[in-house]
Amino acid sequence: MITQVDNPILEIHDLIVSYDQSPVLWNVDLSLPSGKLIGILGPNGAGKSTLIKAIMGLVTPSSGYVKVFDKTLEEVRSQISYVPQRESVDWNFPASVLDVVMMGTYGKLGLFKRPGKKEKDIALSCLDQVGMMSFVNRQISELSGGQQQRVFIARALAQEADLYLMDEPFAGVDMSTETAIFHLLKEMTAKGKTVIVVHHDIHSAMNYFDWIIMLNMHLVASGPNDQVMSEEMLRKTYGGKLNLLTKVTDLIKQKDFNPLKS
Amino acid sequence: MEDFLYFFTFQDSSIVFVVIGITLLGLGSAYVGTYSFLDKKALLGDAISHAVLPGICLGFILAGEKNPIYIVSGAFASGALATFLTSWIRSNTKLSEDAIIASILSIFFGFGVVLLTVIQKSGNPEMAGLNQFIFGNAIAILEEDLIIYGGLAVLIIISLTLFQKEFSLLVFNPDFGKAIGYPMGLIRLLFNVLMILAVVIGIQAIGVVLMAALLITPGAAARFWTDRLGKLLIIAGLFSVISGIMGTYISFILPQMPTGPWVVVCLSFLALFSFLFAPKKGVLSRTISRRRYLHKTHRDHLLKAVHHGLEQGKKYLTIEEIYESFPYQKSKTRQSIDSLIKTGLITRNQNFIIPTEQGKSEAKRIVRLHRLWELYLNEYMNIAPDHVHDTAEKLEHILTPEMEALLEKRLNFPKLDPHQENIPRDYDDL
Repeated sequence: MITQVDNPILEIHDLIVSYDQSPVLWNVDLSLPSGKLIGILGPNGAGKSTLIKAIMGLVTPSSGYVKVFDKTLEEVRSQISYVPQRESVDWNFPASVLDVVMMGTYGKLGLFKRPGKKEKDIALSCLDQVGMMSFVNRQISELSGGQQQRVFIARALAQEADLYLMDEPFAGVDMSTETAIFHLLKEMTAKGKTVIVVHHDIHSAMNYFDWIIMLNMHLVASGPNDQVMSEEMLRKTYGGKLNLLTKVTDLIKQKDFNPLKS
Repeated sequence: MEDFLYFFTFQDSSIVFVVIGITLLGLGSAYVGTYSFLDKKALLGDAISHAVLPGICLGFILAGEKNPIYIVSGAFASGALATFLTSWIRSNTKLSEDAIIASILSIFFGFGVVLLTVIQKSGNPEMAGLNQFIFGNAIAILEEDLIIYGGLAVLIIISLTLFQKEFSLLVFNPDFGKAIGYPMGLIRLLFNVLMILAVVIGIQAIGVVLMAALLITPGAAARFWTDRLGKLLIIAGLFSVISGIMGTYISFILPQMPTGPWVVVCLSFLALFSFLFAPKKGVLSRTISRRRYLHKTHRDHLLKAVHHGLEQGKKYLTIEEIYESFPYQKSKTRQSIDSLIKTGLITRNQNFIIPTEQGKSEAKRIVRLHRLWELYLNEYMNIAPDHVHDTAEKLEHILTPEMEALLEKRLNFPKLDPHQENIPRDYDDL
């Protein structure tokens, strides 16, 4: 069940991504509407993070392309904001909460230039939006998991983008923080921003997302929440990997080269 | 003493050059090294510093004398080759990073030693002093060397200052940097170049073998003192400069003494000092705070014993009864009694220990936290009542007032704990 849209904010065309030899995403082909809160669901190893990284150009696809606002990524980078997984960075790095959120302004600031008062004000107002004002000067290693996520979201807000891609922003977050973040994301989409979130909890996904993408190494579904959320789709997504696909992956691994690379 | 005055009053212009040189070198290498330490690439610095030796020898062979330009270019070229090979092997084979770095280090250094021996056998009269590149001799820095080594050090310091935010991104979150469109590959390349240059400028004063220590130790030692990048860089630079000057001074007063090892000895001393005595992160400070905590837990337990007495209707306990509650801990118990009297939580009348009003309230608070936590474990985590005591015994000392309020709310201000004992509140009269 894959719904394509006209004038998509994001168009992914026949995307194949492999790590070393093994393909992790097969022919993902989808288009997404703007101004929606969009969830990417799927089991572990389904390629959810890989999809986000491929959109951001952090991994090079074996074939296929991504277009954002009908342009290539390089042309519209400043309009896209990326929240990496919390575990992907070393939180012992000597920096304060404010230092990290200020990084969100670096894109517009450009190379060489040092952030000044304007950037600091942006960072502070973003920290206010995620309710972290009282932690401005805190060392980042002293934060809880939920607080670290909020810092990352504040950094994304500081980018003042139109499209937000968030990799597991709810991992390691307690219930009340999760609700607060979801409300914040809803407010953003109400203002016309598009937010794409990698998520793992089906229950809250059902309640909050407008549009849902289901992945299990291939695209199972992409469409409005009420049309996609069905037992059949969930079974296809979470009911184990396709037997033949796993066998082919193993076969490719044994080759000395990647035959999928164009 | 005479030497000391002679050295530190800078009467001799050659000493001024040496001190300026070692200061710039120390700042540059500490600055680069701190980033590579934070980036967990300390070993790469070690590999590069060993790998410049063949380049130095080739530079010497080509120039036929100790020409600093040839030697610096040679050292840079072989350092760059080693760095490039390390990353090329990593992306094209399945070897692990430590194996690659160890091999590169020993292969390059071995080749360098072979070349050095060849040069020595050749009988070139200029080759005297080439040995100094292994352990360094800061006193031999001449004015013309200073222009090259010092100039490169200034270049390193300026580049790192200009690109501070870019290098922070490189270390903290390179993917994010790439996502906002920064050329992270180029920034990584620039950083590697600066790292090789930092090694190269140290070969005359410190020597190739020990240059890695000057890169990494200042940052590692400074990390004990601060959690801010700006301060970290300043402290690391300071440590490095102090050790540099000390090492140079020692090799000045004791001829035949190489500079590098003494700089490293001074640095190690500063690192050890930081490790032991830095506030908060130092061993001593951590030991003290742990001891304080243990004393506090003992005082808390003593107050609880008094509270249990009150629950059984005893208005006071005798000192012997208290000693009996803590077998084999008499002196510790005496200490706790003394400090509880000092803080006004209990009073002592001859042999009797009587809690004050404040003491009763504090004792109730500890018992309350203990029993609230037991109830929470039992109700919310399904742990049997006879299994909840041990963790409660530990957590009662650290639960904050906010946690207490949350527990009270979640459990709906309960009266009894899982063992059917009263959860004491301040308004309860005992």
